[in-house]
Amino acid sequence: MKSMQAGTMEHRRKIRAAQVMAVLGALILAAFLISMNTGFIKLSPWDVMKTLVGAGTEKQELVLFDFRLPRIVLSVLVGAGLAVSGAILQGVSRNALADPGLLGISAGAGLAVILFISFYPMTEGAPVYLLPLCAFAGASLTAAVIYSLAFRKGQGVAPTRLILVGIAVSAGISAAMIVLTIKLNPEKFQFVSVWLAGSIWGANWHFVMALLPWLMILLPYVMVKARVLDILRLGEPLAIGLGTSTERERIRLLAAAVGLAGASVAVGGGIGFVGLIGPHLARRLVGPHHQYLIPASALAGGLLLIVADTLARWILQPSEIPVGIVVAIIGAPYFIYLLMKT
Amino acid sequence: MSAASKPKTHMQTRPVLALFILLGGLILLALGLTLSISVGAADIHLLTVWEAVFHFQPDLTQHQIIQELRLPRALCGAMVGAGFAVAGAIMQGMTRNPLADPGLLGVNAGSGFALALCFALWPGLPFPYVILFSFLGAGLGAGLVYGIGSLAKGGLTPVRLALAGAAVSALLVALSEGVAIYYQVGQELAFWYAGGVAGTTWLHIRIMFPWIVAGLIAALMLSRSITVLSLGEEMAAGLGQRTGRVKLAGAVIVLILAGAAVSTVGMIGFIGLVIPHVARFLVGVDYRWIIPCSAVLGSLLMVFADIGARMINPPYETPVGALISLIGVPFFLYLARRERRELG
Amino acid sequence: MGRLYAKQVDIAYGDRIIVEQLSLTIPTGKITALVGANGSGKSTILKTLARIMKPKDGAVFLDGKAIHSQSTKEVAKQLAILPQNPTAPDGLTVSELVGYGRFPHQRGFGSLTQEDKRIIQWAIEVTGIVEFRDRPVEQLSGGQRQRAWIAMALAQQTDFLFLDEPTTFLDMAHQLEVLELLHKLNQEEQRTIVMVVHDLNHAARYAQHMIAIKKGKVVCEGAPDQVMTHDVLREVFGIEADIVADPRTGVPLCLPYGLAHASVERAHSHEKGA
Repeated sequence: MKSMQAGTMEHRRKIRAAQVMAVLGALILAAFLISMNTGFIKLSPWDVMKTLVGAGTEKQELVLFDFRLPRIVLSVLVGAGLAVSGAILQGVSRNALADPGLLGISAGAGLAVILFISFYPMTEGAPVYLLPLCAFAGASLTAAVIYSLAFRKGQGVAPTRLILVGIAVSAGISAAMIVLTIKLNPEKFQFVSVWLAGSIWGANWHFVMALLPWLMILLPYVMVKARVLDILRLGEPLAIGLGTSTERERIRLLAAAVGLAGASVAVGGGIGFVGLIGPHLARRLVGPHHQYLIPASALAGGLLLIVADTLARWILQPSEIPVGIVVAIIGAPYFIYLLMKT
Repeated sequence: MSAASKPKTHMQTRPVLALFILLGGLILLALGLTLSISVGAADIHLLTVWEAVFHFQPDLTQHQIIQELRLPRALCGAMVGAGFAVAGAIMQGMTRNPLADPGLLGVNAGSGFALALCFALWPGLPFPYVILFSFLGAGLGAGLVYGIGSLAKGGLTPVRLALAGAAVSALLVALSEGVAIYYQVGQELAFWYAGGVAGTTWLHIRIMFPWIVAGLIAALMLSRSITVLSLGEEMAAGLGQRTGRVKLAGAVIVLILAGAAVSTVGMIGFIGLVIPHVARFLVGVDYRWIIPCSAVLGSLLMVFADIGARMINPPYETPVGALISLIGVPFFLYLARRERRELG
Repeated sequence: MGRLYAKQVDIAYGDRIIVEQLSLTIPTGKITALVGANGSGKSTILKTLARIMKPKDGAVFLDGKAIHSQSTKEVAKQLAILPQNPTAPDGLTVSELVGYGRFPHQRGFGSLTQEDKRIIQWAIEVTGIVEFRDRPVEQLSGGQRQRAWIAMALAQQTDFLFLDEPTTFLDMAHQLEVLELLHKLNQEEQRTIVMVVHDLNHAARYAQHMIAIKKGKVVCEGAPDQVMTHDVLREVFGIEADIVADPRTGVPLCLPYGLAHASVERAHSHEKGA
């Protein structure tokens, strides 16, 4: 009887986590359906249904399969990637304010994109496809620079130092970005500022196929490491005492976070707040265990972004707001509410 | 007891050094101002500078350049530098957080939001009004951050202030980005953000001068309370301080100084973060010295950075805000690495 | 010879060397107390013995092999450490925290086996926190929380248990409670316990072996009555004290009556130099 009791709390958490994830999943599905009906070209729910089963007009098929669906799928994937990346970073740095911006991912990707745009003529075709690659390269390079600056022989990378170095390097990159943006011509400037604010436009199935492998490989990997994240959260001495090779685990987990966020930023632009807010929301719902926190973050992030993207297309029809702005406008007040409550 | 306090000798206040810094700094500042006036697209002889300032002859072009362009620009740099640095020193003292800067109070984001609205809704609004709006925006940002921070259960703690600052800034920045993209005024805003004293006129100076001076005087008057507060909230209350009032007064001063500076020249980050550290490193922990020294050092940095910005790539000007960030980042990295040693 | 010993160890924070050429042995099956003034390096030594800190030179040996060259997970099955002021993430319950102690014994996703659950239950019972098991750790009082952390270390099922000031911030009853618990574990299960303690009388009462440390060096070690002497206390803490026998147990009790001025001045000049 006693040993049964030892299991009850764990059991309750599991049930709770399952419920939360089911609800989040259902909400994503609902948002998915609404999102398919939202956009410049009107498609009624009935049209959508017909088109899905292959009975729509050619134009309806084009709109749904080539424009709308990839974009919706992509927004879920980007949201999930950023939120999980944020959950990892908050765990590793033991800091509730950590997000992918901490590793300079948004700044690095942004600088790479601006450099790319400054030196390339804005033409159709190849350069646009190179943009995500460029962003990814910039993001990982910056993360590597921050990591090596925060590294000290014999001490490794202490979380506090990582945060400070991250802030400094990102600020430096932002300064460089300002210098560069001023020199851009107005068209390019508009493009860059929309990109920096975060936007899932120009989405197509290639982008989905480029992002999917990252998530398919890294999400299970992070799930395997869920226990390690729990233990790292207890702080350096305890984590070592419990038998974790902290330095090695940290660099692996950080690499996973960079991979997830870098790939997401590459296709979604500088969407900031999801990485901060997704894990916070998930933690409130399922508690501190990463075993549940990671999948719940993925779902929360995906939901937030699909909703934000739908709103972004809907609010100012026919023009669009960059989704990153909508995320911040929804996310910040929620964050403030959390702050006032606790 | 005394054994424990001994190793901290290097933390103690050094009034002699502080006085030296104040005097030396002011002399250097005078030199910097002169240099700033003579350097530029048209190099002007120092003697001419002297004559233009003290024996102004309106019919000479060089005298006109000096009076109308160079002089206000140099003075503006000095005032703005002092404003940002002192605002930063107060923020760091109040929050006991070495990473605090005036931007944390939502001043920058608020002013940016107001500017975005101005540029979008009333393009071509006369300058004094733009400054006014920007200042109101700064007040809005600071009010939101301060209000949210103090309304939360448990009152205004430094951590809560930082969190509220981050959230409110994110919100206001997102809103201004939205406005900027929708109305396509982003690049104008970027110019403003980049920070520059290039277009300064006497009108700017006239608007800004009373605020900055009032703010600096108030900061000096509050400096003793800030020192006490920097020992920690409970300690300060134990020493008989009404910490709530001091924090409110501090926040208002930060708003006035940083708000005035941001409204006139845009965001020049890092002065508010870096200079107080330098001042503390040089003169110790007493804000009665840190604040005046920050003012002088901030002015110096700003004036010389502005000279540098003009000399790097003539005849073009490098945005001085970016230049200062680029100087500030390595210093900040050094701080970050040093910080760890103390924690270890 | 004990199973755990340090051989000519240098320990440094960055460039600042804290401990030089330290050699000491932890007697197996006993409670060892590390005592010394603030900043004497006793916590640093504890952390190095428990392989949390890497020595700059020399090595700590566990069962004949250098501890830093062994797999940290294998070491974690032999040796548990409880640092000063540990913090738990918000919302974590006591039983979940104790469950973290099973980490070194788990693989993969790490769901708890029946054996794990039995050990968790035992750790919770032996530390007397059964009634708080489903409460979040942050809501417990200081003494309850400290016992929850000790339960976690116990769930690790190790022969060695290291504790850094396990009784700070606790009131007298809770201090005794924790020390009695450690005493019981040592007596009934022959665990080797190493702890840093500030209260000399506690150290003398509960430890069978004491190591007095000053400026990173062992000044004196041995049974409590060898270490608790007027001269050692004067040398290590700079205090003048009478040593009397506890009327109840006979262990030495220290009754300080003043500061030893010579040694205070020496401490000054040393710190000025540094």
